[in-house]
Amino acid sequence: MTSHSLLDRCREAVSLACRLGASAAEVFGQTVDSVNSTVEKNDLQISKSQFETAFGIRAFVGGRVGFTSTNNVEQIQSACRDAVALAKASPEDPHNVLPEAVPAPPINNLYDSAAETFAAADAVQRMADMLSLAESIDRRVILNDAWFGAVVREVTIANSSGLALWERGSLFTYGVIATAREGARVSSFDFQFGATRTVAQIDVDTPIRRVCENALASLGAERGESFRGPVLLSPNAVSEILIGTLLFQLNARDNLRGRTRWKDALGSHVAVPELTLTDDGRLPGGVATASFDREGVPHRPLTLIRDGVLTSLLHNTYTAHATRSKNTGHALGSARSVPSIGPTNLAILPGNASVDDLLSDMQRGLLVRRFSGNVDPISGDFSGAVKAAHLIERGRLTHAVSGTLIAGNVFDALKSLSGISESREHVYNLTLPYVRLENVSVTAD
Amino acid sequence: MQSLLGEIAAAASSWVELRYHARRSKRLVVRNGKVEESSSIDLIGVGVRSFVGGAFGFASTTDLSRAGIERAVGIAQNTAAATARAKRNRSTGLAVVDLARGTFPLQTDDPLENHSLEEKLELVLKIDAQIRSSNDCVVSSEATYAEMLDEKVIVTSDGASAHIFDAKPALRVLAIAERDGDQTRALETLGVTGGWSELFAPRAPEEMAERVIRLAVDQLSAKRPTGGVAQVILDPELVGVLSHEAIGHTVEADFVLGGAITAGKLGVQIASELVTMCDSGASEHVPHAVGETLVDDEGVPAARTVIIEDGVLRSYLHNRETAAHFAVPPTGNARAYTYSDEPLVRMTNTYIEPGETKLEDLFASMGDGYYLRGFGASGQADSNAEFMFGVREAWRVHDGRITERVRGVTISGNAFETLLSVDAVSDDFRWEQGAGYCGKGQPAKVDGGGPHVRCTLMIGGEQSD
Repeated sequence: MTSHSLLDRCREAVSLACRLGASAAEVFGQTVDSVNSTVEKNDLQISKSQFETAFGIRAFVGGRVGFTSTNNVEQIQSACRDAVALAKASPEDPHNVLPEAVPAPPINNLYDSAAETFAAADAVQRMADMLSLAESIDRRVILNDAWFGAVVREVTIANSSGLALWERGSLFTYGVIATAREGARVSSFDFQFGATRTVAQIDVDTPIRRVCENALASLGAERGESFRGPVLLSPNAVSEILIGTLLFQLNARDNLRGRTRWKDALGSHVAVPELTLTDDGRLPGGVATASFDREGVPHRPLTLIRDGVLTSLLHNTYTAHATRSKNTGHALGSARSVPSIGPTNLAILPGNASVDDLLSDMQRGLLVRRFSGNVDPISGDFSGAVKAAHLIERGRLTHAVSGTLIAGNVFDALKSLSGISESREHVYNLTLPYVRLENVSVTAD
Repeated sequence: MQSLLGEIAAAASSWVELRYHARRSKRLVVRNGKVEESSSIDLIGVGVRSFVGGAFGFASTTDLSRAGIERAVGIAQNTAAATARAKRNRSTGLAVVDLARGTFPLQTDDPLENHSLEEKLELVLKIDAQIRSSNDCVVSSEATYAEMLDEKVIVTSDGASAHIFDAKPALRVLAIAERDGDQTRALETLGVTGGWSELFAPRAPEEMAERVIRLAVDQLSAKRPTGGVAQVILDPELVGVLSHEAIGHTVEADFVLGGAITAGKLGVQIASELVTMCDSGASEHVPHAVGETLVDDEGVPAARTVIIEDGVLRSYLHNRETAAHFAVPPTGNARAYTYSDEPLVRMTNTYIEPGETKLEDLFASMGDGYYLRGFGASGQADSNAEFMFGVREAWRVHDGRITERVRGVTISGNAFETLLSVDAVSDDFRWEQGAGYCGKGQPAKVDGGGPHVRCTLMIGGEQSD
């Protein structure tokens, strides 16, 4: 199906839904053309090819809304009929509206034409390269799971307000989960990830080198210590401990639901002045970069927390209408899902300390590279096991620790954190520094 | 479709597996009185797996014509050939087994199709309203109904030809309570393989609502536990989670070959003699477990696999490829989530067999410790069987009696050390993981359960210094 016909199908489906009784309608269409190759247990496994076209239909009947999705082009008519029927069965909600049709300025370099000829055999070769590199670094490392994927995705959206948008992007993603094994000793899992938009910028070396380093470093783990004190989080650990709660609190829909602590906090200090959090759906080369969101609203840069002060929430059309706020263009989802709310390219801006500076200030503490546990986004309480962690004494890393749990509270941590590194790493769509938390409870087995 | 797939498989130049899969999902989400989602999603296509030169290739298509499916067969074969050229240890092939043939209908007295959208919507609106109007402390409510109706045709070039029908409904109920800026969250779920009446056989939706209200409010006044090693009683849900997450993944044969801690330990005592753990595609002890898989996605009939027998590791979980590698029969554990997913080694219903001790005697013969009930928000387990799980509800036990409620509890340790510490297993049994999914690159509906189990493990809590 060509891009032209995909957009035409969406327009036709909008008209059809309206003829079938919808007062307004939106149809989101997508094609996904992907190949990927995988490694398990240090050897190539199955490789896959997929091509799918799917449509997501929202039918509005006054303030009532129903959603259907189908990946069968022949079923669009019945999907439109079902969406209208679902809408009619649902209660009225005046905030179920379509966004205004606003032009979305196109973004360059989302698509690399070289992706068109990137076949399953190419993905297999990249995967083989990753495996060879890991083996050349250290044979104790086992790539438990690794993958290389290439996808070309076209998205279109049309609605009864006159919106008609189309965009195409390519994305190459690669990740690795590895352990190190020496005799009966098995290290913690480590996970590393990389992504790019263009064939020329594919870099599988960096995640492989990092995963080997971290898996090997945790191989000789010893018993830790119990104390209350500072913990230095790697960008991966920042993602696992802080980001989920931040996104929950920043989600305007969760605020409307009355679930968030920050529901009345706009303009208030929610973090130390050193912390600034941004989101930019137009970031050049970003994993989540696109000119418009799931509802066709243009993306633009947004500061969510500036110098510790909450300055904006993430909105889609529903929440913007319900709270009389500006729509920030953060409707998230695919043709298979109702538009929700989520970030695009989220970043904590860099601090002014090196990672070594942050370490050297710590008399007794812990470096945490991964966290496996509970983080309650409502209370902010976190508790769980640390992985690939090192004990810090008198400003130096001493030894890797195992069987160690940490517990604390995200809200307290944001207001008391004592350092943000100047260096940052990409964790999928996140760009994050090292962050040092204070007064964390550390319990050793 | 079955005859078309049969003709294409018969004409293929290599081994192929063709899987037609049509899924119709519905989801109704009500939060705070508002319908946030009323959706229906149809997904239909054919997944093709090919085996060429010791490697697999997979392709999927939504073009259900003969030409479309044959094109997918060609892509799968080419992909397999490319992989075979770069693969180091080529697969020895597929274990030979009696493959399923015939029709496999869903067992239900009350099909979901007999209940209207309006009835299902009315239920979630009513439960949501019940939660919101219950208590001044309850600030947010949610009720979600979801159902998944599947029709599959699985045909392989070596003899499988199965037509399978399945339905898996689920209900999720949530309450959030708040007092003096402190918020707590309580969740109850149900999920089965079956129809409408089977979904609510374990408990009525109104009772689920009562439970989340009570839990969310009670947690507001609960204290946090002191961190450290403790004797605990795990409820059937946590027993299921431990069995699935911390043990089950380490005995999936693909993980075993990747270096999981169970590699080379068949025949070794790895748990207390009181522990017998199984995985079964049938619903053992109690019907309608959500992981019920009468025929797996390679066309292998369901089996009950004894993983641990009286504490001794007896078997891994296999697909046809790993079974051939280990020279054992496949265990019916190859599963794919949608038509566009390839079958992976996955669990179905994983559980510990009930023992002979009455539940009250587990408490009566216990000193101080904790009674832990339900899986919390998250958890994880590694291939070395180290695990960490959040706990939904917890109480201190003092001198064999339940005393005060505590909150924010996590448990962690090494799963095999935990199982070696088991000193009592109750004689009851429940499936308790029906509403959730297992993630392993692709989702899978799985269940877990068992009796109550008493053991020793580490409680995550607070340190004072």
